[in-house]
Amino acid sequence: MAEQSMISIQHLEKSFGETKVLMDVNIEIQKGEVVVVLGPSGSGKSTMLRCINLLETPTGGHIFIEGQEITDPKVNVNKLREHVGMVFQQFNLFPHLSAKKNVMLAQMKVLKRPKEEAEKIAMERLAEVGLADRADFLPAQLSGGQQQRVAIARALAMDPHVMLFDEATSALDPELVRGVLDVMRELAEEGMTMVVVTHEMGFAREVADRVIFMEGGVVVEEGTPEEVFDHPKSERTKDFLGHIK
Amino acid sequence: MDCTLKSTLKQALKTALALSLVLTFVMPLVASALTVDVTTAKSNETSSNNVLGGVPTRVTWESVVDEGEEVASVTVSLPEGSSFSDESTARLTVLDGIDRLPYADEPVIDTASGSVSVDFSEPVTAGKRIRLELYKTSLPNVEEQVTLSAIATLKDGSQSTAALDESGNVYIQVSKASTAERISSWLDDQAWCQAWNENTFLRTFFKPQVVVSSIPTVAMGWLISLGLVLVGFPLAIPIGLLSAFMKISNSRLLKFLAAIYTGVIRGTPLFLQIYIAFFGLPMLGINLNQYLLAIFVLAFNSGAYLCEIFRAGIQSIPKGQFEASRSLGMTYVQTMKSVIIPQTVRRVIPTMTSEFILLYKDTSLLAAVGVMELMLYSKSIVATTGSMTPYIVAACFYLIVTLPLIKVVGILENKLALTDGGNTSGSGKTKKRKNRRGAFAQMKEEVASAACAPEDGQPATQASSQEKGAQ
Repeated sequence: MAEQSMISIQHLEKSFGETKVLMDVNIEIQKGEVVVVLGPSGSGKSTMLRCINLLETPTGGHIFIEGQEITDPKVNVNKLREHVGMVFQQFNLFPHLSAKKNVMLAQMKVLKRPKEEAEKIAMERLAEVGLADRADFLPAQLSGGQQQRVAIARALAMDPHVMLFDEATSALDPELVRGVLDVMRELAEEGMTMVVVTHEMGFAREVADRVIFMEGGVVVEEGTPEEVFDHPKSERTKDFLGHIK
Repeated sequence: MDCTLKSTLKQALKTALALSLVLTFVMPLVASALTVDVTTAKSNETSSNNVLGGVPTRVTWESVVDEGEEVASVTVSLPEGSSFSDESTARLTVLDGIDRLPYADEPVIDTASGSVSVDFSEPVTAGKRIRLELYKTSLPNVEEQVTLSAIATLKDGSQSTAALDESGNVYIQVSKASTAERISSWLDDQAWCQAWNENTFLRTFFKPQVVVSSIPTVAMGWLISLGLVLVGFPLAIPIGLLSAFMKISNSRLLKFLAAIYTGVIRGTPLFLQIYIAFFGLPMLGINLNQYLLAIFVLAFNSGAYLCEIFRAGIQSIPKGQFEASRSLGMTYVQTMKSVIIPQTVRRVIPTMTSEFILLYKDTSLLAAVGVMELMLYSKSIVATTGSMTPYIVAACFYLIVTLPLIKVVGILENKLALTDGGNTSGSGKTKKRKNRRGAFAQMKEEVASAACAPEDGQPATQASSQEKGAQ
């Protein structure tokens, strides 16, 4: 048997009531791979991402993470989520806690790390995203870019095997996007498995190992950045990329 | 033991000795020459016939000269603790039957010894009545019967203690006056106060004497009202929390029960609820202490409002907060405890404080069923004084609690708006929260925009489906 996929999405379906959002999505993601998912809004790319850590419950198909089927109703959802870090468009930092405490909370509650250890790791992660000096600031006292970097540090502190980025830079002012992308790039270079939903074409071209183009709830095209950007096979991909350029 | 016994014995011996001495020397003089038959004091309390101690009054003392005696002078001593003031005066009248005899002698007040003496220009003969009226005299401020003692000097120079008539009309029942009563009586004599009371409006609503004399009573009622709400409100908090969690739970039964509770309580007047509790429960044979029952009714009523405040508070926390903590692997309980509830508490404290203010004011409704609280206490003084002033005093007692709290609510809301930063709820909104209904409408809007995510995945699904549906 070939090397086990980090994430294996098979025949994934998701509908909200009558509306079918995902129709037969199949994606394999290997360990250490950086996959960028592109597509127009409403194409189902965010829903697909949210299915990977069960923020949305799939209505059909199977998802395996490191060989374990997460769509099995008996699976411990919380256990699964420990290993799948997620970064949101709206940051979703806990506004009543300082940056450091944001990073410490789940370590202590979920991983049961002692306070000193959690604090040490929190400071290390914050240093990695360049915010060691903002550790005691409340989220409201930080810029959007800084908040998003704290959110990344928070997810990383849980030692995830996979990181999911759901339009992590879409809510940021243009001048703040770079700092967040730099952190994501470093993370990719360190070998983290990443699934990134984004509109940052430059980032996709530069960092992605593979680009997936979704539309209408299906994967329309996938391949290396060169293949998808420079020689798109599908008309819809061409159309989309044409609009972006 | 021995020591105390000895000293007691010694004391007894001394007393016996003193008594025998007094008997030997005084007895011969005691052959009474004067019999006191009237000792009265004019009532100096506005709303009763009591004679207050320590407050100026008019004391009248009358005695009749005994058969075969002629009295040259008389000294009347007030009981210990009495006092005269600079304005105290005394007037003598000597009567023969109903005829007034032409005695013009000025009684002399001895402030130091607390006595009044009068030397008669002509000895008063048997059967004549001597009347002394002491104006602006204060009796001792005690709660007991007092009497005046008198010594008559006879024509031959011998002295005689006046006998007390057995009719019982020679004792004055003194009531102990409170500070307020003494101030109130002092006010009676003040010129500015009399001028103030000339004005009908001022006299009706702001009569200084009634203000002063009603404060202790109204304060008592204030403490009771405050006590009722200070016990009732904390009891309402767990009721509200429990029903709030029932409302956001997935169980239809729990939701239904909580909806009935909040619906009925919020949909009917507290006044009605009080009537049902106070008149209905005794009919079922349940007889609780009325204060206890009052607390239960307040807590049960306020619990329904707090339920809505808590529920709206929890549901106003952005969905992203649930998602972020769940995506970090935290359980529902951990998420609630460490992320949602701490944020909710900060959000609901201003609204809770407003609810506290409302409940505090609503304690006044308990007056209707005879619970002695601020309202009923002031009403009782209104009934005795006939002045509206006690209600004004009551208003002040409500305000000293509510005004600072209203200020606190404002400060908290502004502070919340500042620290809330990125997460919804702008400062502009807080100004709209003028009353309970406004606050609820406000929260409902927030709830409508912030979908809830109570249990694993599902609600998020519902929320998203609504969004998708909208698209």
